Amino acid sequence: MNETVKLALILFLITAISATVLAVSNDITAPKIAEADALKDENAKREILPDGEEFKPLDEGKLKAIQSSHSNISEIYEAYSSGHIVGYTIKMTTNGYGGEIEFMIGVSTEGRIMGINILNHGETPGLGANITKAYFTNSFKNKSTDGEITASKEPSGDTEVQALTSATRSTDAILDGVNTALKVYNEELAN
Amino acid sequence: MEVGKLKLSKIFKNGIIKDNPIFVQLIGMCSVLAVTTSAKNGLAMGLAVTGVLIGSNVVISLLRKVIPDKIRIPAFIVVIATFVTIVEMFMKAYTQDLYNELGIFIPLIVVNCIILARAEAFASKNNVLSSAVDGLGMGLGYTMALLILGSLREILGAGSIFDKMLFGPNFEPALIFIMPPGAFILLGILIAIFNNVRKKKETTEA
Repeated sequence: MNETVKLALILFLITAISATVLAVSNDITAPKIAEADALKDENAKREILPDGEEFKPLDEGKLKAIQSSHSNISEIYEAYSSGHIVGYTIKMTTNGYGGEIEFMIGVSTEGRIMGINILNHGETPGLGANITKAYFTNSFKNKSTDGEITASKEPSGDTEVQALTSATRSTDAILDGVNTALKVYNEELAN
Repeated sequence: MEVGKLKLSKIFKNGIIKDNPIFVQLIGMCSVLAVTTSAKNGLAMGLAVTGVLIGSNVVISLLRKVIPDKIRIPAFIVVIATFVTIVEMFMKAYTQDLYNELGIFIPLIVVNCIILARAEAFASKNNVLSSAVDGLGMGLGYTMALLILGSLREILGAGSIFDKMLFGPNFEPALIFIMPPGAFILLGILIAIFNNVRKKKETTEA
């Protein structure tokens, strides 16, 4: 009995010290992590909607209404330039080949996709992970929001983007997300 | 096992060549196969493991007379998990892109058998300095293996090294090498070459 208590006490001491050490390092890193996250978000917004000077979150009630039918949308921001709304950024997840892909899309009020940015993904390096490459994301720029976006090896026209070789499911996942975002834009945000 | 008198340089070399955790001991292979899709990922994972290995070896060596035999495994795991969590937090704070790419494999360092094996076989029986050197040697041996495997896979499978393209735009990389089968094939070849060279050297030395 005595030995059991002693063993428990020693293990308790070790875990208590470990918890203290972890609490201290969390204190040091937590603000840095939050800062890095916020910066990444902010940079992503500027990149996909260069016209926006200031970004404000969409009215909460409106966002809730959108989320009730599109639960994979996490954030919508309105982009302002000299007092006018020039577009929206929509942050959402879509199901890729290697789990969820989190990305952001910027749509201008003129009905054009201004850019997309992949924030987090678990796609296969060298294949699906090419969704983060510029030749893929840039192919979305200036596409129309009117029709459904499709992918092609040699994109042409207003609704076709670059298809990735040997990564059909990753390409489709992004297309699926983008088309959902466009639907939300057309039905809820435009006008 | 009394290895206290082993020379530090020998301990260090053991980790890199004679008892190389990947090429000779073949332990902790799961994350090795998974993260070595590029030279950068291999190097980063190797350094993260080296950091944890040195830290846990030092602390466990310091506590080796305090920790009773009966609860040594849970005690080791707590120490190791603490170091892994610290590494994870700092990577997330200062090298977020790298953290995102290595993802789940950082927390999984906790159950990487190399670290527990060194705690059990070395650090719990040797003084702090030898344990630190052992951690460094094993860690660098591990890093070396990951860097070689990652570089080869990236060159063959993506035609680049550290994200820099090596060949012209017409180069068609052999995609299989950045996929799981390529990892197994290359690792097998590397193990064969490494052990062949190592054995030849040992026989000439003897």
